[in-house]
Amino acid sequence: MTTSSIALMIYKSPELVLSSMINGASSAVTLAIRLLAIYSVWIAVMRIIEKSGLDKKVAKVLSPIVKRLFKGESDEALSSISMNFSANMLGIGSVATPLGIQAIERMDKGSLYASHNIILFVVINCTSLELLPSTILGMRASMGSVNPADIILPTLLSSLISTICGICLCMLFRKFGKEKV
Amino acid sequence: MANYIIPVLFITIFVYALLKKIPLYTCFTDGIKSALRLVADIFPFIAAIFIAVELLNISGLSDLLTNLMSPVFGFLGIPKELTKLMILRPLSGNGSLAILDEIYLMYGVDSYIARCGSIIAGAAETIFYITAVYFSTTKITKLRYAIPVSLISTIIGAIVGCLLCRVL
Repeated sequence: MTTSSIALMIYKSPELVLSSMINGASSAVTLAIRLLAIYSVWIAVMRIIEKSGLDKKVAKVLSPIVKRLFKGESDEALSSISMNFSANMLGIGSVATPLGIQAIERMDKGSLYASHNIILFVVINCTSLELLPSTILGMRASMGSVNPADIILPTLLSSLISTICGICLCMLFRKFGKEKV
Repeated sequence: MANYIIPVLFITIFVYALLKKIPLYTCFTDGIKSALRLVADIFPFIAAIFIAVELLNISGLSDLLTNLMSPVFGFLGIPKELTKLMILRPLSGNGSLAILDEIYLMYGVDSYIARCGSIIAGAAETIFYITAVYFSTTKITKLRYAIPVSLISTIIGAIVGCLLCRVL
């Protein structure tokens, strides 16, 4: 993608290549600094949750579903998965990300290939679990929409359908594809 | 009401930890230490995605893709005007919000196109960003069917969302 973009720019606007790459990198730096601040607070709190054993209690509430979906994973992995899902449902993506990374680390067996469980986890994360699209509601309200909330139901259904599709497709792959090591 | 959720949650956690005799301060600073490491670990992947998205936009490749893909999306029942949003949505959260804003201004917030756009932006995730960041601390490089399955499911979700918009 990057290579073809640059190829196109050589033809159209060669002078902009370097500057736009640096622009992209600098917005990444801005984001990283904001993430560092957010993660500092949340990971610190999460560390306390973990050390006090509260996370296992949270996991127990969600675990019937999560345990069924992610057979054969350790309790630690299941608890990160459950907490990642809860954060996603509440729409706090910045909390979900470190938990998601942790979940994958805990499911990882050191192979180069992603396991069926890891892929299922990523697909569920990639098809959105958010219950309330708060940013978009805010945008619609600020633009003077007559009824900003009328998109909630279709949005919820749309993301529910995409998540169900993702889970079903993963189950198909799991059934017909072997685990690679 | 919502304002009280976080403070109450934090107090509950801290008090529970104190009752369990957990060294709160050490845990807290340890957590921040791993936050620092985590951001350092994921930064290269964030930077790569951001540079790629910036180039995609500035080079006009995204417009080219938009022209190429819009008949396909139109056929699937997704308004042609939303093709650019569909292409950028899996790549960049902020980028797609900026495009949604343009769509609101151009067609009006309550138009059919804007409502479909809201659903597409709200019901999808930044697939490429998530996968890049989630795998950044492991050795896994072969993601196998993860991205295709996510993209197909998202498109199916978008098609249904646009359909609902016409019915509801």
